[in-house]
Amino acid sequence: MSEIALTVQSLQKSFKDQQVLHDVSFNVRKGEITALLGPNGAGKSTTIRSIMGILYPDHGTIKFHGEKEGQIPKHKIGYLPEERGLYKNVKIMDILLYFAELKDYPQKKAKERALSYLKKFGLEGKDKVSIEELSKGMGQKVQFIASIIHEPELLILDEPFSGLDPVSQEVFKEEIRELARNGTAILLSAHQMNLVEEMADRLIMIHKGREVISGTMDEVKREYASFKCTIHGQNDENKLKTIPYVTRVEQQDNVSVLFLDQNLKAAEWIRKLPSDIQIEEFRLDRISLHEIFIDVASDRTLAAEEEEKYA
Amino acid sequence: MRNSLKVARWEFKRNVKNKSFIISLLLTPVLFILFATLPTLLSGSGDDAEPVNVSVSDPSGIWAEQIEPYLSNADLNWEISVVTASPDEWRDGLDEDESAVYLALDEAALRDGQITYYTTEETPDSFAGEVQLLAAPLQQLNLQNAGLSEEQMAAVTNGIQFNAEELSDSEQAAADSGLNELARIIPGAFAGLILFSIVMTGMMIFQSASQEKKEKVSEIVLSSLTPSDLMQGKIIGYFWLGMLQVGVWLLIALPFVIWRFNDFPIMEYLFVPELALLIVIALIGYLLFAALFVGLGATVEDISSTSNFQGMIMMLPFSPLILIGPILSDPNGLAAQVGTYIPFTSPAVLIMRLSLLEEWPWVEIGIALAILVLSVWLVMKLAGKIFEVGILLYGKNASMGEIMKWVRS
Repeated sequence: MSEIALTVQSLQKSFKDQQVLHDVSFNVRKGEITALLGPNGAGKSTTIRSIMGILYPDHGTIKFHGEKEGQIPKHKIGYLPEERGLYKNVKIMDILLYFAELKDYPQKKAKERALSYLKKFGLEGKDKVSIEELSKGMGQKVQFIASIIHEPELLILDEPFSGLDPVSQEVFKEEIRELARNGTAILLSAHQMNLVEEMADRLIMIHKGREVISGTMDEVKREYASFKCTIHGQNDENKLKTIPYVTRVEQQDNVSVLFLDQNLKAAEWIRKLPSDIQIEEFRLDRISLHEIFIDVASDRTLAAEEEEKYA
Repeated sequence: MRNSLKVARWEFKRNVKNKSFIISLLLTPVLFILFATLPTLLSGSGDDAEPVNVSVSDPSGIWAEQIEPYLSNADLNWEISVVTASPDEWRDGLDEDESAVYLALDEAALRDGQITYYTTEETPDSFAGEVQLLAAPLQQLNLQNAGLSEEQMAAVTNGIQFNAEELSDSEQAAADSGLNELARIIPGAFAGLILFSIVMTGMMIFQSASQEKKEKVSEIVLSSLTPSDLMQGKIIGYFWLGMLQVGVWLLIALPFVIWRFNDFPIMEYLFVPELALLIVIALIGYLLFAALFVGLGATVEDISSTSNFQGMIMMLPFSPLILIGPILSDPNGLAAQVGTYIPFTSPAVLIMRLSLLEEWPWVEIGIALAILVLSVWLVMKLAGKIFEVGILLYGKNASMGEIMKWVRS
């Protein structure tokens, strides 16, 4: 297992009387992409801002390994906040060099890196234009370059894909992967579950400030990746609920979605289906991270559903 | 501090490269020179105006010998000719639209002291004043004719004059008090210029902090340094900018001022020990307003929708203006003293008073400086708290209640 770069332990934070973080704990490892997931208002940005020392947690510890207790090695961290922008009326190269200077990164090296990244992101020759002259997507690429210009050991990306077109998403995804391959510890928060599923090595999902799912991508998939069966046809919902391994049924018109227990052996289950079920169309899929996310976001956690079923 | 200097360099560099800053930097001294020379140029062009044709009827033959020499020093735009014509003949000989005067200096008129002059419509109104210059030589002539001696004539024509002279410990000070006043005003004016310039660039801090919020850059910047580094960096950066502004202004305007007022040794009066204290006062004043503006800027994202409260604070640097009148009339008066102790008016009031006063009120200066330094410390501390929270509050202007809460936290 790769070396831990950052440990967040029992983080708690309240705004006014409302507690927005309850005991959030996780690790970010070198060379790995850790995804911090959750619906809007779950506490992702609060967690990230606490790590960056922009907010102070009420309780809990944030430890940067290899650093003294309580010290944030700001020059080793790259940060792309959710709410981001760049100075207008200033040349892009000047902005990038300023951010590199703030991180104590050599100017000459920063300039070389800036030029090579601008080229990589299709912004060659734009180093002397101001941000106003660029499109929103181009601006986001510059912001991304600004966050990695100083070769950070830990890269924190808060919603890096928001507002990007699919082509740019792909470029970012590839770059983030490459940074991880080169040993950078990456923590990213995102809404795009398909991208997270493709990229992340590890994930932690929080909802209303509480950790609901965490582990490596494989662990999470193993734990939550049960099947769902979609049947087109006129069927009685209550009857479908009596079929073994069915944990929940969602029915709309003549389409029924059967959520199945994760211990299911698919072939055997299909063979044992009641013969009087009307089947015009039949599909068996894995539950995706996206559905888990939706479930969590709409407060229908799987556990809650199970409780409901066996109550 | 290292981080603050990085921010300071950045703020300085990006403003120096900004076109509107460069334009205002160069335009201000040019406008100053223009305003300083334009009235002179305009009044100078008045010299080219048509002269008044003054026709003097001088049957007694006194003009050339007794009167004209008196006028040689006066700057009169008169075209004088001695005529023998009567007023009617003179009128008939006039061109249309001619600015002309007929002055009758006959014996009877001289004796009675009632001299009549005829004017045309075009004769300027100023002639009525200018003609009074003739009163003294004519009166002297009358006295001479009455048989008075030179001494008696001098006694009559000189009249009585009152000369004010203030008691002073230094006898020399009284001797050249006029020069002393100038010597005091020049360093004061210089310190005032510094105060004005750095407070004006200080107001740019407000814009800079507010813009940083609007452009959502602060969170990226704060991932590299602390809010107090950022705040200090801005204050230092805009101070440099203000000093650059003073430097450029002086570079452009000083040669002109020296040329325009070449009678006074300006540089000699400028570099006096008093200047150091005046500059210190200006700098403390800058720190006070800079802290105020940086804190305030962090609460405002949309300048067009600032509240009255924020508008009032923006006006604070101009508050000493209302005290100018009372201070000029009495630099030691109540208004001047009260203004000295109010932190927001204190720097400008002190500079004004010290430029006017011969004897500096050291106790008042000491107390005022202590109040100022204390206020700077307090305002910096409050601004730091407001800046820290405010700069990250995106999307809206902070309300008064919120600001109070940040300060109390």
